[in-house]
Amino acid sequence: MSSAAARNDEAPALAVEELVAGYGGVIALDRVSISAGKAAITAVLGANGAGKTTLLRAVSGMIRPRRGRIRLDGTDLTGRNPEQMVRAGIAHVPEGQAVIPELTVEENLRVGMMSWPRRGIWGGAKPSHAGGVSGGDQGFVPPGASRADRAAALDEAFERFPPLAARRRKLAAALSGGERQMLVIARALLAQPRVLLLDEPSLGLAPRVMAQVMDLVVRLSREHGITIILVEQNARGALAIADYGVVLNLGRVVATADAATLATDVALRHHYLGF
Amino acid sequence: MVEFLQFTLSGVSFGMIYAAVALSLVLIWRGTRLLNYAQGGMAMITTYIAIEVIYHTGSYWAGFVVALLAGILLGAICQVTIIRPTMNKPPLNAVIVTIGLLVLLEGLAGIFFGGQYRSFPAAFSVTGLKIGGTALGVSTFDVFVVAAVLVTTLVLAAAFRYTSAGLRMRAAAFNATIARLSGIRVARVLTVGWALAGLLGALAGVLVSPSTFLYPNSMDTIFVFGFTAAVIGGLDSPVGAVAGGLLLGLALSYAGGYLHSGASLVPLVALGILVVVLMVRPDGLFSATQVRRV
Repeated sequence: MSSAAARNDEAPALAVEELVAGYGGVIALDRVSISAGKAAITAVLGANGAGKTTLLRAVSGMIRPRRGRIRLDGTDLTGRNPEQMVRAGIAHVPEGQAVIPELTVEENLRVGMMSWPRRGIWGGAKPSHAGGVSGGDQGFVPPGASRADRAAALDEAFERFPPLAARRRKLAAALSGGERQMLVIARALLAQPRVLLLDEPSLGLAPRVMAQVMDLVVRLSREHGITIILVEQNARGALAIADYGVVLNLGRVVATADAATLATDVALRHHYLGF
Repeated sequence: MVEFLQFTLSGVSFGMIYAAVALSLVLIWRGTRLLNYAQGGMAMITTYIAIEVIYHTGSYWAGFVVALLAGILLGAICQVTIIRPTMNKPPLNAVIVTIGLLVLLEGLAGIFFGGQYRSFPAAFSVTGLKIGGTALGVSTFDVFVVAAVLVTTLVLAAAFRYTSAGLRMRAAAFNATIARLSGIRVARVLTVGWALAGLLGALAGVLVSPSTFLYPNSMDTIFVFGFTAAVIGGLDSPVGAVAGGLLLGLALSYAGGYLHSGASLVPLVALGILVVVLMVRPDGLFSATQVRRV
């Protein structure tokens, strides 16, 4: 069942087709296919070494696929680098609360707007690799975004995440684990993505903070229409909020179904998900 | 007391040149974790370009400006053509490439400009300044040296701190992966970093050459002192580079002035300082100490 596709939507926002990727002589993903519906949460689950993080890295362009296709709203993005992927609308939040600790909270957020098309000398937009950034349902980056546009987006981010507003001038190194996770998600959202790749967002967080992060993920999907690919070790928590689930094992897809079905499949849970 | 003042002012003047070289090394180190052994060679080439322009135009300032522009261009070209292909390869590859680049540049300088010592003009008078009847031990040109490096450093610091391009460079230097995932074209940012390093190296070259002579290996010693200054301050810290340059300049000036046969001991003093700093604080005096929980 290695090439099975998650039936996720008639017209998927993100479609990964027969993807093969790896490191050196190691094949970490073997003909993996996933389709993620618009504004849906798709949980990617599996044990350590299953290929979950590699899948996100391949989709965001951090590693180049050896075979297969990656399509965003039907547009083939295979082989593009991370800078081009984020401009096309795919934002990747890597694991480990990946803030830049040497920068302030505000600077970290401003880094999230670096993919916006810059205003040219004569006021027009500079062309971007992926033909400009548009946020689809959840937002819109004006062509040739001005300083005022950026300031407004920053204010909006602080309104959405009040704890960050209180610490905007502090170094990100001074934030708690939960605040750091909030910051990296806020930074990714400032890129106005259509698809958000979240790698272990609950890793290392206290249960209460973990619940807040999961709640935030749901809101991003439901209220802002962002398609979310959620990689999680905490399979139970991920399936509780996801619409669909994909289970990987040793680089292959072993099960795809809606989240409720996967959560009730006792054999699958025991075999691959550990609960 | 007068002697002390003279040695101090002289030390500040030379220290700022070491600071410029140190800063150029730090700019590249922060972005790529690479020590550019060719930095002195690049400065030497741009100084030769300056002297040729001065010779043909008769204008010091034309040579000065062309040298800085040549530094920017040389830094960017070296990064794109020679260094970029070594990225994502074992780190030793890039180190060997920069050493090879140094040998190449010094060889080319010998071929095109000759191996003889050439004097380099100063922008201002090198006659010592006096207050009342007391010689200060520094000239108008020394004041220019300090001002030029200080202004360049402050402009760069402001650009890094307050502009979008500066934020791109800092983000790319601190975490290239996050920078790329945020849409920053890190390869392009690194080219800009090398260009700025080339600018600083060129500045150091034209500022130090009136006090020494210009020949194909003339920047080797300056590079070693600049490297020492960078290590003293911390290879990750631009502020440390400037402070390290000043500290080294002062220490060498005092050593050269006060110690018996001090001039010949200067390199040894620099080495001693380097060893002590590496033993006491290996990351440099101004680097942020990394605390790891185990």
